[in-house]
Amino acid sequence: MVESFIDKKTGCLTIQIKGRFDYSCHKAFKQAFSKGSVVSSYDVDLSEATYLDSSALGMLLLLRDHAGAERSKIRLIHANNAVVEILKMANFHRLFVITE
Amino acid sequence: MEHVLTILIADDNPSDRILLKAILSQFGHKVITAIDGQDAIDKFDPDTIELVCLDIKMPHKDGWEAALEIQHLAGDLFVPIIFLSGIADPIALSNCLRIGGIDFISKPYNPALITAKLNAIVRLLVMQKTLEEQRDALSAYNEQLLNDQDVAKVVYENITHSNCLQDPALSTIHYGTHTFNGDVILAAYKPNGGMHILLGDFTGHGLSAAIGALPLADIFFDWTRKGFLMRQILPEINARLKNILPANMFCSAAFIDVKVNNKSIEIWNGGLPDLLFFPSAADKPVRFSSKNLPLGVLSPDAFECEIDPISFVPGDRLVAFSDGVYEALDSSGQMFCHSVLHPLYQGDIDAEHSLDWLVDQLETEGVLKNPHDDISCLSVRLDSNIGIDSSEQEIRKGHDEAPADFSFEYVLNADSLRNTDPLPYVLQILTTVPGLSSFSSQIFMILSELYSNALEHGVLKLSSAKKSSSDGFVQYYDERERRLSNLVDGYVKISVKVSSDLNSRSLILYVEDSGSGFDYHSVNYDMSNTELLYNRGLALLDQLCSKLEFSKGGSAVTAHYQWQVGGLG
Repeated sequence: MVESFIDKKTGCLTIQIKGRFDYSCHKAFKQAFSKGSVVSSYDVDLSEATYLDSSALGMLLLLRDHAGAERSKIRLIHANNAVVEILKMANFHRLFVITE
Repeated sequence: MEHVLTILIADDNPSDRILLKAILSQFGHKVITAIDGQDAIDKFDPDTIELVCLDIKMPHKDGWEAALEIQHLAGDLFVPIIFLSGIADPIALSNCLRIGGIDFISKPYNPALITAKLNAIVRLLVMQKTLEEQRDALSAYNEQLLNDQDVAKVVYENITHSNCLQDPALSTIHYGTHTFNGDVILAAYKPNGGMHILLGDFTGHGLSAAIGALPLADIFFDWTRKGFLMRQILPEINARLKNILPANMFCSAAFIDVKVNNKSIEIWNGGLPDLLFFPSAADKPVRFSSKNLPLGVLSPDAFECEIDPISFVPGDRLVAFSDGVYEALDSSGQMFCHSVLHPLYQGDIDAEHSLDWLVDQLETEGVLKNPHDDISCLSVRLDSNIGIDSSEQEIRKGHDEAPADFSFEYVLNADSLRNTDPLPYVLQILTTVPGLSSFSSQIFMILSELYSNALEHGVLKLSSAKKSSSDGFVQYYDERERRLSNLVDGYVKISVKVSSDLNSRSLILYVEDSGSGFDYHSVNYDMSNTELLYNRGLALLDQLCSKLEFSKGGSAVTAHYQWQVGGLG
């Protein structure tokens, strides 16, 4: 399940993933970041994500592309150990800021 | 009412029959009449009759019997049946509906009621027709799709399987969740012996995942055949995938370069679970974890090659698998990497049978019955003869006899030494020589030995004594990397001369470097001492060439290679 909200002051869009982060989230995740409001940075809250597969990694790349690739400001926050392990295996810490 | 129906009426009472025919004809419908049940069955044609009206009580088969036979004749076609009846017994009427009638019209006929019922039936028929058309279109589409998939699968397999996976050094397992597999295992012999192997796992499954495998395999085989190195092939694959795949698709992969001339492997891991190297002399495997982003993620200028080298002795093994294994769930719902795979990581599993063991585990834990990711595993039994005998190509006779006579010189200065590998280009020119392409693996081996000696010992002044231990081996390559990137002065000159004399052809390769040479009088050409990790290059060259000469104090070397054409017929 995907939920999102924007902090109007900071311009930070938070996208929260609950449960399995896989292809079933594809549509909702894409909608969450392409709403059209002005966003200066993104937080993807993974605190309640239990698992993440390669299509989820793909979605994160989509978000990164949307947010301006090298210029994007995206943090992946509160990921559990299993999720961090998958992110690290793909070396995504070189593309995103990953914080506990 | 616009839709005109062809209607079959059966009634043994002539006046009722004529009356109903008159009412129906009035609306423009085409009416065929029958005088009893058997006559109705005889006149029923499932291809033209769209509606059947049957009187219940008739001689020679009554309405119910006729209805059952007509339904049987209609087969899959939907032909509605209406019963005509003078009786008002609810049980008799409900029997009509039970055996498949859609309605009944009671006598005496009421034209207004008949019109209304016919309208309802026409709507039903139109709806039925639309459904049938959609169903047919759907099944035709599905058939077309399956056909397309079959064709695509053949092309896909031809491209991704045109490799040397059947080499005895390799064992692989491959389980796909779809017709198309998002995992690929590619292996190709290098022209100078040894092998390139790639295990890749594309995002997603099925056709969309498989499609990226085509350019990947294409570049992998083509560039390997042409003699390009892993460091050159990887950026090319990355750039191509980045260019053609949508942003959310990429390929987690491991690239393994098996180098037989110095008995080492180089491993590039981008996004796959740890590769395991099992030295036959040690208890635990060495793990090579992912140090790179998967292929197709980074733009070409940001792409990096973080590569791990390690030396091997024959009998050591390398095992790799896709995350379909790593993330498979065991029967208690835990991921394999946290449960089942432990003994493998601890070295408790005999490396030689590790793949069989993995399949056993996947089977016991019920993963193979219901896989939700493609599963691929690869095991390589490392040996110094990989790709040596098998790269020997058939020598073609007859049309390769045209004489050739040319020479060229290729000088690489510091900047070019840092940034280019000249060998594929030189080889490409040489293989245009008629007949020489049959020997391209030997030529490439000679060239690459000469060039790496000139570069590493001549220009970079590295001492090969460093390579005498496994650790030193890694240090050697680190040092090579470091010195090469800081190189400001130096050159390697390659000069090539091809000449023909009757049936003899000769190739003279001259390689000179800016280094200070070496004591070539003390070179030991004895290959029998296979324990030596270094200095085997020259012995190898000596065997391949008809003559090997040093000059300029050892900083220049000339290799003579000769072959015959036609003579043997």
